Formats: sequence, C-alpha cells, structure tokens
Amino acid sequence: MAFTLYSLLQAALLCVNAIAVLHEERFLKNIGWGTDQGIGGFGEEPGIKSQLTNLIRSVRTVMRGKKKNEWNTLKF
Amino acid sequence: MAYHSGYGAHGSKHRARTAPDPPPLFDDTSGGYSSQPGGYPAPGADVAFNVNHLLGDPMANVAMAYGSSIASHGKDMVHKELHRFVSVNKLKYFFAVDTAYVAKKLGLLVFPYTHQNWEVQYSRDAPLPPRRDLNAPDLYIPTMAFITYVLLAGIALGIQKRFSPEVLGLCASTALVWVVMEVLALLLGIYLATVRSDLSTFHLLAYSGYKYVGMILSVLTGLLFGSDGYYVALAWTSSALMYFLVSLGCPLPLFPWGWSLPSGAASALSFLPGTLFANSSPRSRQHGGLSPPAASPALPDSGSCSLPAPHHILADLPPGPVTPGPHWH
Repeated sequence: MAFTLYSLLQAALLCVNAIAVLHEERFLKNIGWGTDQGIGGFGEEPGIKSQLTNLIRSVRTVMRGKKKNEWNTLKF
Repeated sequence: MAYHSGYGAHGSKHRARTAPDPPPLFDDTSGGYSSQPGGYPAPGADVAFNVNHLLGDPMANVAMAYGSSIASHGKDMVHKELHRFVSVNKLKYFFAVDTAYVAKKLGLLVFPYTHQNWEVQYSRDAPLPPRRDLNAPDLYIPTMAFITYVLLAGIALGIQKRFSPEVLGLCASTALVWVVMEVLALLLGIYLATVRSDLSTFHLLAYSGYKYVGMILSVLTGLLFGSDGYYVALAWTSSALMYFLVSLGCPLPLFPWGWSLPSGAASALSFLPGTLFANSSPRSRQHGGLSPPAASPALPDSGSCSLPAPHHILADLPPGPVTPGPHWH
C-alpha cells in the first residue's frame, strides 16, 4: 500500500466527518450511546463505553463550531 | 525593533563609514568597511567573497542591511511559531545522546535478555537524559533508523533494477504515515482505556521508532543470506523487541494520583500488536491482508546464494510509476 501524507489527511478528514454526522436523536439514542444515557456520576473508572460517548460528543461539538455544551471537553 | 535599529545604524554608517556594524545573521570577521587592508592578505582578491565590501555603493549597502534584518526578523517569527506547537526543550531531552549510549542501546534492542535493571532513573523529579541513563527513551535512534530503512529499501529496489527517485520519496511518506497512524491509534487506546501514565507523545514516538532497527537488520540479513536468513532475523528481532517493550513495565513506579498502569506496561501492551503487525512475515504476491509499514521484504524464492536476485524483495511497491491507490501485489 502506497500512502502519501495527503491520503492520510484525507482519511483523517473523512473519519472526523463520519463521527461528526452521527445524529444524536435518530441514531445514537437508539443504540444507547446518547449523551444523557448512563453518564453516571464521577466514578473512579469511566469505562470504555462512556469514554467513547464522550469522545463522539466532543468531536461533534468541536466540529459544529458553536460551543453549545460548555461542560464537555476533550481530555487527553 | 531590530529592523529599525539595523536600518538606522546602517544608514548613519554609510554616511560616516567609520564603525563597522556587521549584520546580525552573518558572523564573518571581515567587519572592516572602512579601509582595513591589514586585515586581509590580499584586499583585491578578497573583494570577490567579502560580502560587506561593496565598493562604495550606498544603495546596495542599505538594501543588504534591510534584507539581513528582515531575515533575522523572519527567523524570530519562525522560532516563535515553532515554540507554540512543539516544546523544543522537551524535544532536546530526547536528542541528548552520545556514542556510548547509542551503541549500548542498539545492543540492548537486539539482545535485551540479559539486562537486569530497567528502571528509568530520576534526578529531582526529572528523568535523566539518555546520555546518563541507558533506559531512557530517545528519538535519535528512531530517526536515524527510519532514514536508514528508507535508504535500504532504495538499495534493495536498486538491486532488482526497480529503482527510481520517486520511489524513495513514496517509501518515506508511506512509512511516515504508518508511524503517525500508529501513534494516533496508541493515543486513542490510552484515552479510551483511561490509563494514567507519564507517556507523552514523544515517548510513544520513540518506542514505535525502535522497531525500525529490527526491520533494518531483517532486510540486511535477507539481502545477504536470502529468505532463510530473513526469517531467522525477523524472528529474532521480533522477539527481542517484544521482550524489550514488555520489560519496560517491570519496575513499578506508582503514581500518587489514583490507579495507573506503569508506563512501561502500558506501552508494552499497546505496542505488542503494533510489533506483530510491523514485523509480520513478508507478503508474497498472493497475500492481500495487512501489509507491514512501507515496503517490507517479500520472500526471495531461492535462499542459498549470498546475493540472491529476489524478484519480489519489496513486494508492496509497484514496479512502474506510482499512483496512489490500492495496489495489491
């Protein structure tokens, strides 16, 4: 496979776009990955599913450009 | 600002032509604008390469001063922008190596089985630079190994008469893309698993660059000894690298803030799939599958002659002009 840096850029852009277009009400709630489902308290270990949910929500917020939810940040 | 001071000083200088003001970029010692013939062995001969002595053309002096001050201003701007993205001090830590460290580290990468003490030593809460601590990660070896691997791939292609200069650039960018993807995947994995460790991005970069040493050795052995040598070297370097990465986690520094994996164990667990992926056996023409980074050697069919003529030593690169797209060989 011959990759170039440009193809990496394209792939990254497409992946981020794919995460950004996941619709909150129509899709994520039906799988159970909605933002208000089971976010629980500030427990010790968040678990992979809640980390993923947070990640998706953060990407969508950043990509939208307007900070609708101020209290979610992308923590690394 | 430097621009104004340089301009003003030079402006007055060309009128007075007394005290020389060497432009900030050029550090040459031929600062004598006015007559200093004693400084040069042959003033006439030196005119050609004495940049400052412009034979009394004031506009050229002014223009040169302007250009050099603009250049220094640009240099400051570049430094400032670079400091915003990359912390140069942290990067300097990784390049503080010396020859003894490099030699010992290379030996450790090939044969880590007898090394006892794997702890990274600290001095006043800061890790010791690689010059003084064998266990510290560095970025010098991965960088050099990466470049050497690209050149070696070019050599291997040239042996099969499949070389062209674009292939080198393509190989380099492909390998770089794989490195970036691996570091991103590792960061994602560390984030998702909420592993708290002191692994920074540069640590991940360093550890994922160490496998290029093994790849270089495998390709060299494959070039010299054919397919058997390649497989032996591959098995040896893969297991050595796996042992190396797992051993990084043996000393257990416990961090005071909550549950955390030791950094080495975290890196080891994350890197094992990467190592297996990268050092996986070469692809012949039939296998589709995941391909190793850049161009990993394929099996030469005959294994006995010292310099075989392997028709597919680097099976992933297409023989003709390169177009991006899935090329399964």
